This record gives sequence, structure tokens and C-alpha cells, in this order.
Amino acid sequence: MATTTAAVTLTSDLLSDEMSVSATTTCMKAGTTADGLDMMEYGYIDIVTGDQFDLLGSDDSTGSLGKPVAGIMANKANKVYIKNHSTDETYYVSIMLDAQAIGKLYGGDWMFIPWNATDDDKDIEITASGGTNKICYALFHEGKTLVAS
Amino acid sequence: MATTTATITINSTDLLSDELALTATSVLTKAATSTGVEQTTGLARKTTAVVGSTALIDSVVLYRADDYTADKANKVYIKNTSSVAAQYFTVYLTGDRGGETHTPSNALTELGRLYANDWAFFPWNATAGTKEAFTATFANTWAAGDTFTFDGVTVVAGGSGLDENAAAVDATHFPNWTTSVASAVVTFTSRTSRADLEIDSTEAVVVTAGDGTAAIATTVEGLKSASDIYIKPSVETGMTYETMLIHE
Repeated sequence: MATTTAAVTLTSDLLSDEMSVSATTTCMKAGTTADGLDMMEYGYIDIVTGDQFDLLGSDDSTGSLGKPVAGIMANKANKVYIKNHSTDETYYVSIMLDAQAIGKLYGGDWMFIPWNATDDDKDIEITASGGTNKICYALFHEGKTLVAS
Repeated sequence: MATTTATITINSTDLLSDELALTATSVLTKAATSTGVEQTTGLARKTTAVVGSTALIDSVVLYRADDYTADKANKVYIKNTSSVAAQYFTVYLTGDRGGETHTPSNALTELGRLYANDWAFFPWNATAGTKEAFTATFANTWAAGDTFTFDGVTVVAGGSGLDENAAAVDATHFPNWTTSVASAVVTFTSRTSRADLEIDSTEAVVVTAGDGTAAIATTVEGLKSASDIYIKPSVETGMTYETMLIHE
């Protein structure tokens, strides 16, 4: 099996005492301790302003900017990483799931979330503001059902 | 200025034919600025306590959008501390599929599942809904000792003045409502955005010796927030999560 670890460290001096929070997970398939996630999609793309795009489509949408992630398996332990590589602090991308706003990634921000692509509507959508935003994204997943061309 | 950094490292030596080593560090700043975020809930840890069968497990509200400023560079951290592989938390946003019929499976918008030791870190725009508001208009004859009862609080009139009694109600703290006053009219505003509130004289009760009234009229219909954050444990036997919100 593949062993992929994802670690986060949050540090800050905004409290009266120093804050340091760390967590590490080995990305496993759903409900297992011995079988790691073994598939991955990765991309680095420009997101232009003006439209909302499917960054990761939960179906075989042809509108996806990234590789269409056809038939991603539902109810699994999929993980999505997105980073906004823009260096202008006023640039941001709005991230939505199933047309519901999650939040905004400003230049330099990143996110790491689980993703349950339970149906065709569960696309992860992205809209750029300020200018063209450079986005890096990765999807770690358990497999997908390919759609015949 | 506070400096808060968030670093992610994703490593794998055998997922790809080449080694995967991804690191990203972000200095968390306020929206569209280089000024660091300055507020946080701090790290919290809680064990869910659920009574009933697995099929009936309810979700838990982690953060209500009403309590934070919308469209800012807020960040949410959630971790499932369970070490049992099959135990997971499902993370939801309220969502707002206007015009659609909700079913038990889509009443909330599911982000995904955090299995044992999994964590998530994501931006949150905290878009609030609309807070219900109504007015209570004091009229007719009031006297000292008359009462106005609402939200579990009873306010006793100090005299016969309508403005005076309205001011006394406004000066009272209500658990679930804030107030403002103009002359003899008190405006109550719900502390949370909800679509299920409708206040009338059965909830805001006046008891007077004379013919004093406090007519109730809804001025703003409430609507739920679309971005409250919920989590739901997969088992009822107690699961522990940790969470923190860093916000503006």
C-alpha cells in the first residue's frame, strides 16, 4: 500500500501564551488502518476572473478546468488540497462545494479538506477575483469509475 | 501585529514513482491585507455524547456564522482524534439549496468525512442569515406592578409611563434576543439567524391591571445562515474532536 502523510502545524503569538498545534494523519482508505490512499490527481493552473469553474468535478463534467474526476467514489476518505499561489494579497479565489460557499483563499493561503463526492452535484468550484490566480491542487482518492468516451 | 502561520506537509515515498514532498506555509492575514489575523477561539476539545441508535445521531454545531464577520479570511481547523479506523466525523455546511426539496441525506451540504486522526483546515466565509425582528409597542394604561414577560424574563413596570416601561424592557437582558427602543416601541432582534421563529402575544405576554398592551408585530422575517459548520459522529459511543477557528 502507499503511505501518504499529511501534517499541519499552526503557530501563533496572538494569544498571551504561545500557540502551537500540530496534527499528522496517514491518509488511509475509509475505515481501514492498513490500506493507504493510493491514487492522486494533481494540477497547477491559472484561474481567470469572470466565471465560476469546476476545479474538481464529481461527475464527468466537461466543464472542469482540472482533469475531470469522473466517477470519484462516494463515502470514501478522499482528500483535497488547494493552494493559491498568487502573490498579490488582494487576489483570492472563492471555493464552493455544490454551489455552497466554503470560503476564500487569498494569495498564499491553502486548504486541506475531506471530500465526499456523493453525487454529480458535489463539484468543487472555484472563482477568481482581483486577477488571474495561480492555483495548485491535489486530490488523493480511493479510485474512480471511468466514463467511456 | 500577531503572526500566525499554517504549514502543511504532504509526503509519500511510494504513492508515485517519484517521491512526493509537498510543503506550503501561509501567514494568515486579514482579507486582502498583509496584516495578521488577531482573533481565535483557541483550541477546543470535546467528546460527543449521543443517546440513541446510530441512525438517529444528530449533528453538532461547531461554529455559527452569526458570531463572526462574513467574507473575511477566517480559517477553520478540525481534527478527529479517534484512533478507531471506522469512526469518522462528517463535516457539513448548512447550505442553502433554495427551492429544492430536502431529503434526510441532503438537508445539509456535506464536505466530507474525517476518519481516525484525519484533520481539515479550510477558509470559511461565515455568511450569516437574517435575524428575526419584531416590535412590542406599549400602549394604553399601564401601572406600577404590571408585567411584560418574554424569553423567560419578566419585566415589572415601575410606573405608568409608556416610554418609561419600554425603556425598562430595553434595559433588560434577554437570553436569545437583543433590544433597542424608540419612545414606547421596543424592537427585539434574535441573536441567531433562524427561519423558524414567529413571535406573537402567546410568547410575549402582558399582564396589566388596566388595559395596557404591548402589541407585537414582526418587522423582519428570519432566514437561516447558509454557512454554519456542523459535524456528525459516526457512532453514538462518544467520539472526540478538536477544533479551532482563527478569524478577523
